[in-house]
Amino acid sequence: MIRLILAGLLRRRWQSTATILAVGLGVGLLFAAVLLQRGLQQGLELGRQRLGADLLVVPATAIVDPDRALFAGSPLNVYMDRGLGDKVKAIPGVRRTETQFFTQSLRLECCSVDTEIRLVGIEAGVVSRLAAMSREGVPSLQSDEVIVGGRLLGGVGKRGSLVELLGGIFKVGFRLEPSGTALDYSILMPIDTARKIAGKSEALQFLWKEAGRPENLISAILVEVESEGDIPRIAEELERIGPVKVIRAGETFQRFKKLTDAFILVLAAAGAITAIGGIVYLVSHFASVAWDRKGEWALYRALGASRSRTVAFVVGEAVVLSGSGAIVGLPLGYAFFCWGLSRLAAQNAFPFVPPSAELLAVAASLAVVLYVLVGIASAAVPAVKVARLEPALTMAQGDID
Amino acid sequence: MVSATTFLEARGVRRSFGTDPILRDVNLCIRSGESVSITGPSGSGKTTLLSILALLLKPDAGEVWVAGSETSSLSDRERSRLRNQFFGYVFQATHLVGSLPVLDNVLVPALIAGSGRGRRDYARSLLAGLGLGNRENHLPHMLSLGQRRRVALARALVLEPPFILADEPTNDLDPRRAGQIAEFLLGLPARGHALVIVTHDRALANEADIRLDLHDGVLRDAAESSDEPSVDETEAAVLHDPFARVRGTTLDDQQ
Ligand SMILES: Nc1ncnc2c1ncn2[C@@H]1O[C@H](COP(=O)(O)OP(=O)(O)O)[C@@H](O)[C@H]1O
Ligand SMILES: [Mg+2]
Repeated sequence: MIRLILAGLLRRRWQSTATILAVGLGVGLLFAAVLLQRGLQQGLELGRQRLGADLLVVPATAIVDPDRALFAGSPLNVYMDRGLGDKVKAIPGVRRTETQFFTQSLRLECCSVDTEIRLVGIEAGVVSRLAAMSREGVPSLQSDEVIVGGRLLGGVGKRGSLVELLGGIFKVGFRLEPSGTALDYSILMPIDTARKIAGKSEALQFLWKEAGRPENLISAILVEVESEGDIPRIAEELERIGPVKVIRAGETFQRFKKLTDAFILVLAAAGAITAIGGIVYLVSHFASVAWDRKGEWALYRALGASRSRTVAFVVGEAVVLSGSGAIVGLPLGYAFFCWGLSRLAAQNAFPFVPPSAELLAVAASLAVVLYVLVGIASAAVPAVKVARLEPALTMAQGDID
Repeated sequence: MVSATTFLEARGVRRSFGTDPILRDVNLCIRSGESVSITGPSGSGKTTLLSILALLLKPDAGEVWVAGSETSSLSDRERSRLRNQFFGYVFQATHLVGSLPVLDNVLVPALIAGSGRGRRDYARSLLAGLGLGNRENHLPHMLSLGQRRRVALARALVLEPPFILADEPTNDLDPRRAGQIAEFLLGLPARGHALVIVTHDRALANEADIRLDLHDGVLRDAAESSDEPSVDETEAAVLHDPFARVRGTTLDDQQ
């Protein structure tokens, strides 16, 4: 049986190759689309978790790109009085606040990429929140320990590794998972340590002359509220506490999410269209092949193949074709996905979670199973039709040698 | 009643295509080791009858008994098994699978039966016996019609079925090739196969134990109906007697 199938496929070499490629393309695109879409969706969710705040308060003079700030805090050397943090806490309906101190950006010139590493001081509460999202996470940091972003210190960023920052030696507390956000290129440290470093920096002295000692300053306050309904009121009250700017997480996040959702939708639609196009092609292809070759099927019937054997034979051929197509398609799709990933990662504000092994397996089997099922279904109908006919009548119509 | 030696029997078989009645009332009984020839003008329904006997076509009415079973009541699986195990059919148009080399073509019934491996050596010996020993790996399109007929013959024999049905096996062949095939076929009853052969060739037909003529949808003894020669008979006369001329020679593979 297998031998007959393979011989038939080899004879129609070009036709078989075209089918396998068509299936491969369909499977590949579907696979890549599923991976990209899931990655984006998970990235968004992760971003939402990392944000951990409903409102972000920054100095009024800060020019902040809200989308970036949402995922990584304010990346600017603009400061406000530490006391504002207490005022924020006092507002009714505020459940929790976290203050941040942005030290400075280090320019990393390595490997032909030009990246800024942000040094940010964070409160103890943030440490435990980030720790919960990292496999190696620990709930608190010593004053000389830092959290490194997911794309920094690749192989050497293990817990306890030493790093030199602005002349000081620090230990790695843990490393974050890559998230496709500015956090990937951030180094987070206890807020007091961050202030100390900033205070000592020659380059930043002019700032402190103007704004006061860093010990009394903060650069951003993350605010979590009791209930979402209170956000507009609290945002208004926050604007009244001093010269600050309030960024509503919900708002910007929603805006950002809508944009991404639209993108995801387009991606899903493109995937669906290729899938449907591929499926329509396959259905017509298998149907016409099975029909064109009814003389051959009838010959097998005449020589003793039962109806069910004949159907199994026709369908088996479709399975071999769609299965080989799927095998060709998976690496193709993965390559396409990697290309897409590299494009997305180039814009590091874009949250993207690389796929887990499970997601890879699920997406791959989804694409393969779908196409193999389509192959089976589209070959089965004409196969059953041919098998029902009396062999002598079909053979008289079929064109075989 | 169907006795142990009555393997294949048609009773009151009728078949029409559209409004044309092709077979009106066909009765036939073939026992193992017998040879039967069926002659008749073109379009008289010889192929239709052979197809019905080989379970490739169902009669509109009447019964076909194979090895003691009335076949119209059998399931598709059982009919398929009978086709595979009981009949070796040599189609008028050889019907070889173009994608398969000669040896695999011969093995198709065995592949279907699931005994491809076990029949390989036997298939080889059949091909060798038919003078095609050096053509095992050729594709059908590389062969002449006479060679393709012999491949089809080997395929019909590969499972050693009790019945060989051959539909005009010597047609379109020069007398020498036709004679080779005829001799091979006529040797089959001695090896235990029953042979049903449809032919226009009077000389070949006359070699059979039972000679039947299909006329107006009814089978008759050829001796009775041969008073007025049919068109086919005159054609056959022109072709001499190829069978007699090659008797005693061995099969070979020369073009
Ligand atoms: N599948 C078919 N559909 C319609 N008519 C058919 C079919 N097969 C055979 N016939 C008709 O039945 C008659 C007998 O055909 P056939 O059995 O092939 O004759 P023979 O083999 O004696 O030449 C012919 O007139 C032919 O046209
Ligand atoms: Mg005929």
